[in-house]
Amino acid sequence: MLQFPRRPVVILLALLFVAALLLPQFAGIYGVKFATRVMVLAILVVSLDFLIGVTGLVSFGHAMFFGLGAYGLYFLSPISDPANALIAFPMIVAATALAAAVVGAFAVLTRGFYFIMVTLAFGQMLFSLFHDTRLAGGSDGAYVNVKPVIAVAGTTLLDLGHRVSFYYFCLAALVAAYFLLLALARTPFGRVLQGIRFNEARMSALGFNTYAYKLLAFVAAGAVAGFAGALFAAIDGYVAPDLFGWRQSGTAIMMVVLGGVGTLFGPILGALMYAGLEEVLKTASLVGPWVADHWSLYLGAVLIAAVLAAPRGIAQLFERADAVAAAPEAGQIVIRKRAPGRAKSLAVAGLSRSFGGLVAVDGVSLELAPNKVHGIIGPNGAGKTTFINLLSGALRPSAGRIRLDNEDIAGRPAHRVARRGLGRSYQRTNILLPFTVRENCLLAAQARHPAPWRLRRSRYAPEENAAVAFALDALGLGARADTRALHLSHGEQRQLEIAMLIASGARVLVLDEPLAGMGNEETGRVTALLRELAVDHTIVLIEHDMDAIFAAADTLTVLVEGRLLAHGAPETIRSNAAVREAYLGRWGNP
Amino acid sequence: MELVFIQILNGLQYGLLIFLIASGLTLVFGMMGIINLSHGSFYMLGAYLSLTLTGLVGDVFVALLIGVPLAFCFGALIEWLFIRHLYSRDHLQQVLLTFGLILIFNELQRILWGTRPHAVPIPSYLSGSIPLSDVLSYPVYRLAVAGICVLLALAMMFVIQKTKVGRMIRAGESNPEMVEALGIDSRLLFRFVFAAGVALAAAAGMIAAPIESVYPGIGEHVLIISFVVVVIGGIGSVKGAFAGALLIGLADAFGKVFLPQFASMVVYALMAAVLVARPGGLFGRA
Repeated sequence: MLQFPRRPVVILLALLFVAALLLPQFAGIYGVKFATRVMVLAILVVSLDFLIGVTGLVSFGHAMFFGLGAYGLYFLSPISDPANALIAFPMIVAATALAAAVVGAFAVLTRGFYFIMVTLAFGQMLFSLFHDTRLAGGSDGAYVNVKPVIAVAGTTLLDLGHRVSFYYFCLAALVAAYFLLLALARTPFGRVLQGIRFNEARMSALGFNTYAYKLLAFVAAGAVAGFAGALFAAIDGYVAPDLFGWRQSGTAIMMVVLGGVGTLFGPILGALMYAGLEEVLKTASLVGPWVADHWSLYLGAVLIAAVLAAPRGIAQLFERADAVAAAPEAGQIVIRKRAPGRAKSLAVAGLSRSFGGLVAVDGVSLELAPNKVHGIIGPNGAGKTTFINLLSGALRPSAGRIRLDNEDIAGRPAHRVARRGLGRSYQRTNILLPFTVRENCLLAAQARHPAPWRLRRSRYAPEENAAVAFALDALGLGARADTRALHLSHGEQRQLEIAMLIASGARVLVLDEPLAGMGNEETGRVTALLRELAVDHTIVLIEHDMDAIFAAADTLTVLVEGRLLAHGAPETIRSNAAVREAYLGRWGNP
Repeated sequence: MELVFIQILNGLQYGLLIFLIASGLTLVFGMMGIINLSHGSFYMLGAYLSLTLTGLVGDVFVALLIGVPLAFCFGALIEWLFIRHLYSRDHLQQVLLTFGLILIFNELQRILWGTRPHAVPIPSYLSGSIPLSDVLSYPVYRLAVAGICVLLALAMMFVIQKTKVGRMIRAGESNPEMVEALGIDSRLLFRFVFAAGVALAAAAGMIAAPIESVYPGIGEHVLIISFVVVVIGGIGSVKGAFAGALLIGLADAFGKVFLPQFASMVVYALMAAVLVARPGGLFGRA
């Protein structure tokens, strides 16, 4: 998870900051203006990294908000008087946030490559709007005649038309934008965004409305980009449609990737390096006239070399190798006695789901009593996983009802089902691999209060910490709490997934082959745990390990070809002739 | 009425041309998972090859016969030098590297051919126009361009549907891991597909050169439009690219006549509308 930068980075950033403070003392007008431009671009790319690197939304149209901010300053500046920045800038930020909300509402519906392309399309639409029509000077662009000032009660405190004052204002703005976005990424809200970047399905299954989270991130990044755009327009006092264009968005992506995606400080270095390199290559007195004339040849070559040599950007230089805990602890499962609590019951009626012509689940009706362990067995292709996907909301049923206690949850999206207390695990372990065991569980615990506008942890921290401690203990993962999930053994990863469900406060646990890949000893421990959890949980599990499931389950349900074949206590299932015929075969014989 | 007819012809002709460019883009994305921003540069390469070769041999169609194989070899070289390193990388790195390639290609173009726009002559035997009414007529060369595009599209369909290479491409299109599992040397297959995509884009640039003038940056507009087509059609679907290209061609042609200031916006709005209705594109799997 995104941490406060490590000491070498802090030292580097501090040195850069001091250099920036001193720069106007020895750089000429041109140097100050260049540095101002770099800082404003840095604000833009930090906000883009908040989208790409923190939330995982690769926007190829981020410059549209930059452009809107710039044109916002043009529209808000009177012809002959300076605009008051204290009024103009907040208005611009609000307007770009609104625009981002509108664009984001559509764009966030799509994923991956389609998201890249939809954001590109919106950016190009705005580019065309300002380029092809006579709006604000059309393709020629337009001048902001008088730069804004900061004025209170008629007294001008800061004139942004003054180059050095404006320079310091932009430096302050960059520092503020960086710390604001870093802090935002570390709030409960931002931690969920980071979870979404690596595993959206898991976050949704924990109960987070990922659409709302992503939309809010899009709006926040758009608003900061709009602010950067307004500053950019104030540098030269000139706005042009190119500010919206795909090249501007593309250049911003270059800077982010060059600096290091997902670090927030990396893109600042990336902007400095990209703009600095371009400036050096264009200066004939430094590199000779031929290079200066064909600078983009060299810039292109540097970009290609950078991708091939340092795929994680400049920030890669500051990475520390992962400390992997030595020997995997044979985690002892500690079962703490808790007060029994009634968990919810689960009932399905006439539940069906077909894919095209194939009926995967066919009219299943079933009642699963609370505080019991219910096993679901059946041959491969019997529709067990589809059945679970219907329960958890990952799939919509074609027909039928699902009741959680007395509430019909059929057809609800996964995150709303999860909020009703149903937590699920997946056949292929579904956790947040780059995060530590504790961070995984903390995110899960945060699902107890999943509203996206949580910016402070304090209020629920005791409750969440207790839930995490309990879950880690219960699964014997305490000793591995600070190990990243990707370094865990396969069995430990599966235990972590169950720990996350427990930490999330789910009272109905739906587990898809929780014992797969576990050794005998682990299997015994996890089965004992499931029995113990039934004190205050209802447990539904698919399992192929017949010995384990017959020992652990209170009831067994047999699915064959999507239909319910039998349901009852393990002993009755064991002696059921139809079940033996269809599935158990020789195993059932004494 | 004639105006509508002419715009339909224009739209189809432009759409067919875009299809040649987008088909390579969609295959490269669908099979190899590569976002290739430099694909428009290969259209530009074609346009300038057309300029130089037509100057040498006198006829744009003879130039086409020389230029397309050259572009194919160039594509194979680019794949070997750069693109193959990207197969296991994420989209951002692909964007960065291919953006670098654009910078290099644009600068090389400037060094080799300069910044002045040039015209490529239409062959004399196709320079006439077919009169449609007293005032409107349609140039023969544009019809010939549409005809060539249809021929190339049919040839591509034949290769994909009927040949062994085509079977591998279809296997790779529906399931990239399949190719490896079938024991096909995917490196050669990828190189062939990439080079074929480059050749098609260059062919489009070559035959379009006499209609448009040849100028720097000619590839960038078609790049964005091709991406729009790929997305509308559904990533990896050649059929979808065909439908999307014709749709975009017609939308562009009619937009230019009826909403001249908003023609480009119509195209992007169309794409946004398609994606909201069908998030995986018209022929997409998602």
